[in-house]
Amino acid sequence: MTTTDETGSTGSTVLEEAVTSTDPTVLAKVWGFGGMTSVLLGAVAGLLVGFERLDLTSADLLGSADEVFQFWSAHRVALVLLGVLPALMTLATTVVPRQCGANTLVFPRAAALACWTWLVGAVLTVVGFLADGGLGTPGTGGQRQATALTLMGLLLAIAGLLLATVCVVTTIVSGRSTGTGLRDLPFTSWTTLVSATIWGSMLPVLAANIVLAYVDLQGRPAVRFGAEDAIWEQLSWMFTHPAVYVLALPVLGITLDVFSATTGITQANRDVLLVATAAFGFLSFGAYAQSFFDTPGTPVMEEALYVVMAFAIVPVALAILGGVADTLRRGASNLGTRPPAEVVCALLSVLLIVAGTAVGALRVIAPLDLLGTSVTGAQFTLVVGGAVLGVGAGFQHWGDDLVGGPGARPGLNLLGGLAVAGGVVLVGATDLISGLLGQSDFTGVDLATAGYPGSGVDGLNLVSMVGSLALVGGLVAWQASGILHLTAAKKAGSA
Amino acid sequence: MFAAPAAPTRPRTLVVASAFGTGSVLLYFGGLFALYFSIRADAMAWGTAWFPEGAIQLVPGGMNMATMALSAITMGWAVSAVLNDDRVHAYLALALTAVLGIAMVNQTAFYFADIGLPIDASEAATLLFVIVGSHLVMVAVGVVWLGLLLLRALGGQDTSRHRDLVSAAALYWYAVVAVYSVIWIGIYIAK
Repeated sequence: MTTTDETGSTGSTVLEEAVTSTDPTVLAKVWGFGGMTSVLLGAVAGLLVGFERLDLTSADLLGSADEVFQFWSAHRVALVLLGVLPALMTLATTVVPRQCGANTLVFPRAAALACWTWLVGAVLTVVGFLADGGLGTPGTGGQRQATALTLMGLLLAIAGLLLATVCVVTTIVSGRSTGTGLRDLPFTSWTTLVSATIWGSMLPVLAANIVLAYVDLQGRPAVRFGAEDAIWEQLSWMFTHPAVYVLALPVLGITLDVFSATTGITQANRDVLLVATAAFGFLSFGAYAQSFFDTPGTPVMEEALYVVMAFAIVPVALAILGGVADTLRRGASNLGTRPPAEVVCALLSVLLIVAGTAVGALRVIAPLDLLGTSVTGAQFTLVVGGAVLGVGAGFQHWGDDLVGGPGARPGLNLLGGLAVAGGVVLVGATDLISGLLGQSDFTGVDLATAGYPGSGVDGLNLVSMVGSLALVGGLVAWQASGILHLTAAKKAGSA
Repeated sequence: MFAAPAAPTRPRTLVVASAFGTGSVLLYFGGLFALYFSIRADAMAWGTAWFPEGAIQLVPGGMNMATMALSAITMGWAVSAVLNDDRVHAYLALALTAVLGIAMVNQTAFYFADIGLPIDASEAATLLFVIVGSHLVMVAVGVVWLGLLLLRALGGQDTSRHRDLVSAAALYWYAVVAVYSVIWIGIYIAK
């Protein structure tokens, strides 16, 4: 059950071998390149929306408010469900089993099925967005069948992610080597276990929302759930506080492992960090925060649980940052004068995530009235941007294992990482300030929808667009670095 | 003379995977039930009718609940038979559980064809069809799984030494019954 099938049978093509392979390194390449390509596509969608926001009085580039909305929602969906989660699955399917002492994932064929199911779903989702579908539109100007296709694609992507999650959790729980307790696990495996538990509890709820919308959308006027101006609002809880934090949790584990390995220092207070990372995971459960289904009374985003969770996660994140800083303080001398690229990226990633939690706490302060403003977008950018950087750090750290040979480009990786971090800071900071000035999260293409922002916001939107450009540039550099690494590893293997 | 220390035991792989997968399925239904009860409570608070008078009948729901409860017993019987290497009883119990599942699907399909409540009649109707339809899919998956188990049992592979797949299927099937009990109480009885 835990052995992989033999590959390379006589007469089979490369494509046949790839599709039928249960080799974790093959699957890791699909998860990794697929995920990072989606991150890049999401960043490009964000860049186009950034261009559109330069002039808040009309649609200059994308045609109409509905099209702007489609790209705006595609940006978030591509980054979360098609981007960061699958990219994390790369490390979960290759690094985690080795850290646990298992030779590979349990159920390798199920893991392969999960990977290809996700990929088909991701392609369908992208096609749905490009065919004027997406997750509905406020002006109901999209194509219903394309919207249905997007929903079906997302369901497939979620099914693939859930199946992969089952394989990963089972590997950690029952496939780890004898004598290795859960407390002994490296942080990447531990945080993956906690995150996978949360993914396994939130993704089915998201699937339930999607099924409801899909059924109601099909074939007749929608009753409520499938109305095109209501679909995004039902699913948006997955892309905001607190659910978005679950993307950051494995990245915190990756950072702790990267620091430990590169400095040669074991973390002090390991048990405290285990508890803190677990608490971070459980504070990121967000399936209850569905504002679309608010009943008369206090809206869910103003209820005590929601507000307390937003504040409670800040000290938890600071505790983890303290653990990282302590390791760095004790082991900095071992890093030399030029620290490795993965250390820089990992450190920046944790700082961005901590900043994201602080912005999340600021967002729920009721008198400031920031819930519908671009502060929501700032929090999303900082947390997801931090997660992307952390995933990149993990790819750099375990790169040789992932692609099957040497050939990493540390200089290009560092350059890409700094561009990504700079872009995330620019976009996040300007969205935060614009939100405080009253700009809406989704600005639309007229001043009323944008929240009547002042001229200062126009300048900030220009800076934000520059940040989006830097982000795209950094991601392109990383993609190029990954392809060069893969090519070099293949050459080394054939030689 | 000292006895060799017992080898540490690991949780059984198939059962762990089944528990996690079943947990995810339960959360899927948890999400749907939460929406159903929340929207229903809201409608009730405004004095709006939830289902049209007489649309939801107690008898079909009760019959299905009885069928499901019986299938939980036969599933337990199957696990017990496999544990005791009693192949004849294992065949009977697995087949009976699958037949009860098929009967439940048949009863539900007949009832919904007869109910006269279009899926787009109201929010309640849409939710009803999505919840019950999802549960039918869950039952159908369970029946297919039981069919595979039956084939394995006929081949002599479901034994007390290799009982994990039966235990995993039983865990899933009990979840099928548990979900239906919520449907029965929350939809058929409470209406």
